[in-house]
Amino acid sequence: MLEAVHLTKRYASLPAVQDLSFSLRPGQVLGCLGPNGSGKSTTVKMLSGLLQPTRGTVQFDGHNIQDDLTAYRKHLGYVPEEAHLYPYLSGWEYLEMIGTLRGMPDFELAKKIDSLLELFSLHPHRHATIGTYSKGMRQRILLIAAIMHNPDIFIFDEPLSGLDVTSALIIKNLVQALGLSGKLVFYCSHVLEVVEKICSDVLILRKGVVIAQDSVANIGQILGQSLENTFLHLVDEVDTVTVARDIVDVISMRSRLSAA
Amino acid sequence: MTSPFEIAGHWWNFYRQRPFGRLVELFIARIFRGGGDADAEGLDLGIGLVLTVLAMPGGFVSLLLLDKYGTFAQWLRGLKPFDVLQAALPDEYFFIVLSMVVTGAVAVWRWDAIFPDRRDYINLVPLPIATKTIFSANLVAVVFLAGLVSLDVNAVSCILFPAVVAATQMKFLFFVKFAAIHAVGVLLSSFFSFFAVFSLLGLLMALLPPSAFRRVSAYARGIVVVYLVTLLCTTAAVPSLLRHATGPAPGWTFLLPSCWFLGLCQWMRGRATPAMVELAKLTLPLLLAVIAVAFCVYVAGYRRHFIRIAELTETIAEPRRNPTSHLRLRPLLSRLLRTPFQIACFAFVWKTLRRSETHRLVLTAVAGLGLVLSSQALMNAMDDAPSARQAALSPDALSIPFILTFLIIVGLRVVFEIPVELRANWIFQLMLDPNQPECEALARNVILIFLLPCIFVPAFPLYAYLEGFTVAALHTLLVITWTVLLTNILLVRFRKLPFTCTLPLFKQHSIVILISFVFGFLIYALSTPEFESSALQQPLRMLTLVPVVIAAWLIPHYLEKNTPDIDRKLIFEESPSRTIELLQLGD
Repeated sequence: MLEAVHLTKRYASLPAVQDLSFSLRPGQVLGCLGPNGSGKSTTVKMLSGLLQPTRGTVQFDGHNIQDDLTAYRKHLGYVPEEAHLYPYLSGWEYLEMIGTLRGMPDFELAKKIDSLLELFSLHPHRHATIGTYSKGMRQRILLIAAIMHNPDIFIFDEPLSGLDVTSALIIKNLVQALGLSGKLVFYCSHVLEVVEKICSDVLILRKGVVIAQDSVANIGQILGQSLENTFLHLVDEVDTVTVARDIVDVISMRSRLSAA
Repeated sequence: MTSPFEIAGHWWNFYRQRPFGRLVELFIARIFRGGGDADAEGLDLGIGLVLTVLAMPGGFVSLLLLDKYGTFAQWLRGLKPFDVLQAALPDEYFFIVLSMVVTGAVAVWRWDAIFPDRRDYINLVPLPIATKTIFSANLVAVVFLAGLVSLDVNAVSCILFPAVVAATQMKFLFFVKFAAIHAVGVLLSSFFSFFAVFSLLGLLMALLPPSAFRRVSAYARGIVVVYLVTLLCTTAAVPSLLRHATGPAPGWTFLLPSCWFLGLCQWMRGRATPAMVELAKLTLPLLLAVIAVAFCVYVAGYRRHFIRIAELTETIAEPRRNPTSHLRLRPLLSRLLRTPFQIACFAFVWKTLRRSETHRLVLTAVAGLGLVLSSQALMNAMDDAPSARQAALSPDALSIPFILTFLIIVGLRVVFEIPVELRANWIFQLMLDPNQPECEALARNVILIFLLPCIFVPAFPLYAYLEGFTVAALHTLLVITWTVLLTNILLVRFRKLPFTCTLPLFKQHSIVILISFVFGFLIYALSTPEFESSALQQPLRMLTLVPVVIAAWLIPHYLEKNTPDIDRKLIFEESPSRTIELLQLGD
């Protein structure tokens, strides 16, 4: 089980995440929702051990992950929000490097890389440098790098960004399948429909604080509405329809001024 | 009353409100801050810092010349009649070469940023701006850059050097005349260098298809860098050869543009030999020709590349032929490298060195310097000895592997510090254990696996053929031992994965380190071969080196053992040492 216990992160004196607590059980797919600046990425980085919490702990099977980060990371598959990769390496070389760093045996590594590249439709481009890849192709490389060692914990930060429809559908089904096979999945996204469809539970953050945490079905029933409306009700203080109307007013201002 | 600066400020403010002015400003900034898609991030220095660094060599060298031209120093040396113009000739040549090398290096460094790239295309072309406006704005930015760099590189030396030379003359007119001619020489040579590199870039762009251009571009830059290093190495010998050349200009002087500009300066001073006059006459026509070629190929390259960027954007990753797989070398690497970390990172380091242009350029410059110094040593060895066998045992010939290994080890050590695509290092931050870094071992393995075969393969058979097995074995052993020891010394407290950490900060002891490198070179590459040359006559004398070897082996190990744990931790960011540490007890 993965647990966040009173997690707090401050950048200088600015709090990014405050007193965040939740748990993630095997088989659970926990979606994390929140507007920009709500602390999603900071939470993900603390869960993956990239950031050390200012206060609180992340515990895996009852142990603080900071006590033995290397051991924890062996169980972790992480897909970051942005696909920052080494542009001069080929897709195959990058995956080979990651597999070797993870200590995967040679025969298994080559076989897995080939099969996964084939399944993600990247096999014909495996020897082209990543610099020439499209955003979706880079994203697929990140996904393969995160899953190829069969980890127990998956942390996905906007994994569908830039993917085409087919690849996105594959990933959505994959996430559900991982959950069903008893893995722990933490899934961060802006896309409410995706979270609603593939996650069993949801965590809603606002200004670094958890404002709601429950199963997707229960959250939707808080106001007897869809997840989207519930989310907007909980998180946003703005009337989106009014804002959209105001935007149209502003962009047509010049023509009105000219007419006047 | 309005000052010229205020007028210029108003003028600039007026123009920067217009699209053209804004575009020029944008292109100037992008040339300095980096274009291209790949690894611009690694060396993104501010404009101020770049200009300061470029201006420094001229200023420092001028100050160092105070000793040469100072009247007191002259008096101490007992040199009474002192022809200052004659004495200034080698220094003037040096400044011309320096100006050309620095400006050429800037053009090579900013090679990718001189032409508008895909990012510019995506941002600018959808705007209601004519393509010719974008073209003209970039051209103005390039010309501005050429002028700015030329002025910056030469500004200090144009005042300090004439001031130092004229100090003996006590005549202001002499200073003005000398300074004016010197300024013309160095500025024109700077322009020539910039536009020559620019012409080459434009020519490649105009002639080659984009994919071929990318491949050839890397080699072309390497060749330019080696040429610039060679030019720098001519500063010691060329002035004296030129001064003593009688009759028409020697053929080799036509290959060195620095000679033409020196000829121009001497001709303007009325001190030119016939050879120099001949060279001086080449200067202006060739400068104008280079500028004209640069302009024409710029137009052609622009039409060919910028207009077609949209087509290139649509191109998806092209399948390449299967490169030699790293896995095929795995059995060999597994024997040499002990852990998965070393095996994976060895491949990463090796591929970065091969494929990152910045790193390749720095290494090419170092290798070029090594090549020039080695050729010089070889020529000296051949000149002084009647046969190849005797030449092989001379200190000059023996110094060749020492020169090359020293420069390559130092070059690799420096290159390891230059970051590449820093944002991508998250994967190493995620996967590596900071408390058990093997970075030092990895860096040592990379250096030694690269260097040892390069030493052994040519040195041993060559010396075995020329001098017999014993001499060959002793020489190869000594070079290998020195290589290993130098590598160990340079990697003491190295705790970074190469290319993944931010650039090192300038520290107070950086100058001391620089001076240590110079002294290190003298001991390693000059004194050792001197000793070796005499010791090879009586091989038992080699044993006197044993205590030195033991000390050089033990000291780095002792330092490594006594390093505090906090200084062993793997780092991805260089943090400045703070005078005051905040305890942040409130957090």
